[in-house]
Amino acid sequence: MFDFLIQGFDVALSPMNLGLAFLGALLGTLFGALPGIGPINGIAILMPLAYTLGLPAESALILLAGVYTGAEYGGRMSSILLNVPGDAGAVMTTLDGHPLAKKGLAGPALGLSAVSSFVGATIAIIGLTLFAPLLAEVAVMFGPAEFFALMVFAFASMSVMMGNDPIKTGIGAVLGVLIAMVGVDSGTGVMRFTFGMAELYDGIDFVVMIIGLFAISEILLMLEHAHGKNANQEIPPLGRVMVSAKELLYCKWAMLRSGVIGFIVGVLPGTGASVAGAVTYTTEKRLSDKHNTFGTGDMRGLAAPEAGNNASAAGSFVPMLTLGIPGSGTTAVLLGALMLYNITPGPMLFTERPEVAGGLIASLYIGNLVLLALNLPLAGLFAKTLTMPRWVLVPGIAILAFVGVYQLHSDLMAIYLMLIIGVFGYALRKLGFSLAPVILGYVLGGLMEDNLRRALSISGGEVGILWNSAISVGLWIAAVMLLVLPWMLSRAFSRKSPVTA
Amino acid sequence: MRIAADRILGLALIGLAAFAAFNASQFQVNFSYEPVGPKAFPILLSAILATLSLVLVFRPGENGDWPDKRVTLKLLAVLGVLLVYALLFTRLGYVVMTFLTVLSLARLFEASWKKAVIAGVLMTLGSYYLFTLGLGIALPGGHWLPDFN
Repeated sequence: MFDFLIQGFDVALSPMNLGLAFLGALLGTLFGALPGIGPINGIAILMPLAYTLGLPAESALILLAGVYTGAEYGGRMSSILLNVPGDAGAVMTTLDGHPLAKKGLAGPALGLSAVSSFVGATIAIIGLTLFAPLLAEVAVMFGPAEFFALMVFAFASMSVMMGNDPIKTGIGAVLGVLIAMVGVDSGTGVMRFTFGMAELYDGIDFVVMIIGLFAISEILLMLEHAHGKNANQEIPPLGRVMVSAKELLYCKWAMLRSGVIGFIVGVLPGTGASVAGAVTYTTEKRLSDKHNTFGTGDMRGLAAPEAGNNASAAGSFVPMLTLGIPGSGTTAVLLGALMLYNITPGPMLFTERPEVAGGLIASLYIGNLVLLALNLPLAGLFAKTLTMPRWVLVPGIAILAFVGVYQLHSDLMAIYLMLIIGVFGYALRKLGFSLAPVILGYVLGGLMEDNLRRALSISGGEVGILWNSAISVGLWIAAVMLLVLPWMLSRAFSRKSPVTA
Repeated sequence: MRIAADRILGLALIGLAAFAAFNASQFQVNFSYEPVGPKAFPILLSAILATLSLVLVFRPGENGDWPDKRVTLKLLAVLGVLLVYALLFTRLGYVVMTFLTVLSLARLFEASWKKAVIAGVLMTLGSYYLFTLGLGIALPGGHWLPDFN
């Protein structure tokens, strides 16, 4: 049953892939630490380069997955030291992390977050190894109707969990799907939304889309932040970047519990590190905050979201690899990267391309060790990148974005499109949208339509096929529950006790 | 003020939905083996988009703060620099345009002239050699310099 893992370690332990896992972990930590570059930006910028290098699919995926997990480690730096979350997944880390730094415990806080990230990720990677092949076996039974229902469920879970405005999450996802419609319809050859422009016949390219949406809009946002309040902050002294055995034992339950919860949150399609951080922090607060020390620099309040967000990163690979449904915005980008290589993840991946699935999972074990080894001794060095001025960072992002898009297409039209999408992304972010639903909609939209049309052509247009099997009925019910329950619960709670926030 | 932005957005999105639905209804399918053609899904999406946008019009959410006039001008300047970079990227070549772009972006992000020039030279040459020698990417040399490499 674990043949794929043995084969995977065989792939991941080759010198080149080991080097790429190391490089990915290092760059990822840097990207996570640098202000404004999260996991998605890091992957968006590196993906075209990885593709150009002509890396085989499994090697490219190992590099990009290293960046993903590394960025989840790096995001804590600015949360703890500057009280500014490096990315959405690190928001909860600020709550107890920064107070610890203010107490003069910045070093131990960084050490603790490295260890709890390691523990959380390890739990989740073991979970991934155990559950992904099982889920893949179930998923083999999925037909187009079941996949369609699954995607509806994914969108439902996303709109409830992601962002703070479900309506805007929904709108963002629909916009993403509409953008995916641009181009020649694969079923009939009809041109859709191309407005007679030959450049749009192939649709809006994935790389152009994510670099525009994330990197270019980020440049514009950075300009605004440069004029904001905390533009230039001092980094507090680190002290010892080690965490004592006593401190670790104090946090052991917080780490273990949060690792498991984070993994489960990660597996749910459409939810990512930010949800995992929030859920694990509030759970831990409810369970163990007996003396109201959470929020004032309690080590457990730091360990919980750190273990949680790293666990969710590994957990989100489960639906991506087995069902082809990304568990988070970042895995949506990784899914797109795989599609560049003509690999469609799904239930057959473990049997047909075990070197990709197994290589990736094996490299996560290795990358996680590398990250722990890098992050304990080098925390001080990574912390220094926080002071990297924006006037170096922004031109750097611009160069990488331009060259990345240009060398894929050798076409200036792609660059203009990238800039237009960048302005669109900036406007969306200013209007309170989160970009992850847009990218999920864009990646899933085409698949969703394909599956719907395939299901209906099997049934000869009979809509009933969409809820004809136990699996699809279950998914439809789950989707409706997800959409209705939070609303009903909040009404019930607000009536009973107006105090509970 | 904030609420107004969401209302306008909602109305604009309803307009977009109507446009997309109308556009989709014009798709011409010559022949098809499938019961569901390329029209149905975009029209369904437009309906969902219009419904959600309608909610936005009646129950607007929160927006971020909009930049003031000075920052807006700077934003436009940054976009202008990026656009010029794209326009002249192949004509003047990678090295010249990257230097000018790094210089202007660094200035817009409030580096001193000295720092901006140093950043421009180092980043241009560094990235040029990294991309061409390290990664084997062919970069435009510029039409006016016959043999730059």
